[in-house]
Amino acid sequence: MDIKDLNDLRSDFEELSKREADAACIDGCVSDEESREDYPDYMAAIYDEIMPPAKSGIYFSRWDLKAMAAEIDESFALDVRERMFKKFMQWVGTPEDMQLLIGQFKANIDMKTDIYKQYSAKYPSTKEIFDVKIRKAESSKRYLDKVYTEFFT
Amino acid sequence: MQDNLLVQQSARVNIYALISRLLMNEVDEKLLELILKDENILSFFPNFIKWDKRKGISNKDLIERYLNVDYTNLFLLHLIPYESFYTREDQMMETGGDNPIQVIYNEFDFRVELDEARVMSGDHIGVELEFMYKLCEAEQKALEDAEYEIAADIAHIEYKFLKDHILEWAPMFLLNVKSEAGSALYYDVADLALEFIMSDFEYLSELKNKDYKYKALEGME
Repeated sequence: MDIKDLNDLRSDFEELSKREADAACIDGCVSDEESREDYPDYMAAIYDEIMPPAKSGIYFSRWDLKAMAAEIDESFALDVRERMFKKFMQWVGTPEDMQLLIGQFKANIDMKTDIYKQYSAKYPSTKEIFDVKIRKAESSKRYLDKVYTEFFT
Repeated sequence: MQDNLLVQQSARVNIYALISRLLMNEVDEKLLELILKDENILSFFPNFIKWDKRKGISNKDLIERYLNVDYTNLFLLHLIPYESFYTREDQMMETGGDNPIQVIYNEFDFRVELDEARVMSGDHIGVELEFMYKLCEAEQKALEDAEYEIAADIAHIEYKFLKDHILEWAPMFLLNVKSEAGSALYYDVADLALEFIMSDFEYLSELKNKDYKYKALEGME
């Protein structure tokens, strides 16, 4: 077997792996951190990658944002969801602030995924549906860490 | 067997009718009276039964001072009861004819009077649950006529609609309704809707696993 054969074999293998990965991704594949877009700032990154329920598996409502902010002694009025999100992000002044903010997002995600797990256990037919959301949520938590590393270290 | 099946189907029809109505619009006096005077219906709302604010106040005042305010906060102001917001990556609502839900409704000749329902599009939670109600009603009619194949076809549509649409997003919305409700009624409504759609999906999944053979479901085959 020469190098060309090896390269062909590798190429075939990669193609097969990709096909298998694509097949496994039908109906709800979770895009991992690497597959997410690059963003100019942390605000755009979190708004586009974490705030959409379709991407994170979690719905962050206006009251969620207000409650999360209250946990770190920040307060703002109920407003349009996007404006509230921006105000929350603009509160961040230091890397420590960002860690606190990320901690709040993660706590909200954990609280909701715990409920998803309870429902999956109680109604087993829903497990497939909630598992996709839980995977998205876990990926979102890792993405928040990536945002911190990228923009605050 | 037939009687049990029809009783169960009738319960499904009634619960879909109740939750779709409660999630579509504000409560009015007629609906509140219906809930309060029927012990079976009232039992779906355990926190509302013992809610302090109900005591010593007329139904009209209860509605105007608490229930309608809470409905407005939850469904019109602060939370988003439309599927497209939860399923589109841009977090936008699809209010036009391109809404995939509207396409499904058109296929089944299910007409949504948006003005009358006071919703912006057919993917509102109340409308989607009303669609399930209509499907269950049609399934019931087929079962009454012993048209089991037709009933099975409709049950499969129900299964797909719950799986591909309602369960994809409604739990996210309803969990927030539960946590943000300012009245015991809407806390209970959200809890009832959540538990019911998931238990109904269990039932439909079991029926699907038995190839929609209703008799097999009841151990008669």
